[in-house]
This record gives sequence, C-alpha cells and structure tokens, in this order.
Amino acid sequence: MASSGTIIGPETRVRGRITGATDIEIQGHLEGDLHASGEVRIDASGTVAADVHGRRVIVRGAVKGNLSADESIHLEEGARVVGDIHAPRVAIAPGGLVRGHVETGKGDGKHAPAASHAARAAAAAPARHATPSKAHAPAKPARHGAQKPVSKSRITLGGGKSKAPAPVVPVLKKGTKAALTKKR
Amino acid sequence: MASTVIGANITIEGEVIADEDVIVQGTIRGKLVAKDGVTVEAGAVIEADVSGGPMTVAGQITGNVTSTDRVELQSGARVVGNVKAARITIADGAHFKGNVDMDV
Repeated sequence: MASSGTIIGPETRVRGRITGATDIEIQGHLEGDLHASGEVRIDASGTVAADVHGRRVIVRGAVKGNLSADESIHLEEGARVVGDIHAPRVAIAPGGLVRGHVETGKGDGKHAPAASHAARAAAAAPARHATPSKAHAPAKPARHGAQKPVSKSRITLGGGKSKAPAPVVPVLKKGTKAALTKKR
Repeated sequence: MASTVIGANITIEGEVIADEDVIVQGTIRGKLVAKDGVTVEAGAVIEADVSGGPMTVAGQITGNVTSTDRVELQSGARVVGNVKAARITIADGAHFKGNVDMDV
C-alpha cells in the first residue's frame, strides 16, 4: 500500500497543489488544488478546500470546491460537498449532501465549472438588465413628480453608482421589497 | 506506522504540515514540517526546508534540514543544505553539501 498510493494522514495539513498519477487518499486536510490521474479518495476524516480532479473520485468527507472526474464521482454516506460536480457518471448515496451544480455526461471536466459559472452569470444577468430598464422608465415619470420617490429608490437599487447619497432608509426598504416581489 | 505517504508519482507544491510520520517517495516543493519521523526514500525529490523528528534520507533534498532527533543520510542520498540535528550520521556513498550543526 505504501509503495503505490499516496496518503495524506489524518494529522496532516497540506496547503498547495497536489498533482500526480497515482491514487490519492486524503484523511487529513487539503487546501489548494488536487489533480490526479488515479483514484482520489476523500475519507470521512478528510476535509478538502480545493478543486479536485481525478480519474475516479470517491468522497466520504467534506469538500468545498468543484469536483470533476474522467470516469465517475461517488458521494458516499457522510459526504458533504459544496461546489459543482461534473463527471460522466455521478452517484450520490443516501446520506451524501451536496450544494452546487451537478452535471453528468461526457465532456472535458475542466470546462464544466467554467460553463456553470457562465450559466450562473447568464442567470444573474437578466436581473441586472431588468433594473436598468426600470431605471430608464422612471426617467420620464420623474418629471411628473408624483412617482418620484419610488423611481428614485429603484434607480439606487439598479444603478447604484448613479446617485451618490443613499435615500432615506424606509424608502430604500420599500423599493427593495417592491423590486424583489417584481422579480418573482 | 507512518500515516502520511507522498507517493512516487505525486508532486506537492506548497506546505505539508503533519503531526505524524511522513514518508516521501515523490516530490515536494515548498515546505515540509513533521512532528514525528520523516523518511525520504530513494527517488524522492524535496526542494524545501524540512523539519521534524528522526529523519532517514535516501533520496534528494535541496533545502535546510532541522531535526529534534537524529538525521541519517543513507547511501545514495543527495543533500544540499544545512543540517541541524542532535545526531547526524552520513553513510558511505551519500552526497552532502552544507553545514552541519550538532548539539556538541
């Protein structure tokens, strides 16, 4: 066992990048990047704050970062993952916890996180586009005067930088509420 | 029994801090700190300062070595750097360049 694989023991902390061709078992703590062409096993005692890539990735411990694999990713009981998961095959056993984007199927695992980030950005974009359009609309009613307070609050919500002083707190709160309900 | 093993085809760029034994067969660049024994096997490459307990070196170390116990450079070992330890043994056939600081 000692001759072939790599073990980061339970009392060991690694901060940095691990790359290699052999199997890696993490019982301790890793902060950085892990890229292996063998099997990556994160044990129940293992805590990883890193992007992890392997041929196969098996998780029983805690991971904060994106997981990708050439073959498969197994989240077993006790696994806690906060991050995106991408592999041709993904298995999540009962008791495995995930918060993030999961994608199965072929394709380069490296592109998956970037793609999902782009998707997130795209999803967030309409919300950003929506507020400037609102900001444009009040530009005309602003002359009417009646709707002025509401439109002001909207501008500060969307544009942010356009008006230097923040409006009175109750007005901002009203505007935030209205904007939130409108988005939904 | 050693609980941390850095395998032969593994490269770590960064810090390794272990409260247990460490066996290195691969490559470490950065820093290696162990509470207990450090074994650097033949074929291993360490470009880092190494500190820990009893050390056995058969591989290559570029960097300063500090041990609370003994340092044993075996035949075939290549060490470039200063060694500070309570006891140091250098076997015939070990390459060594650096200062030695022992508790005299």
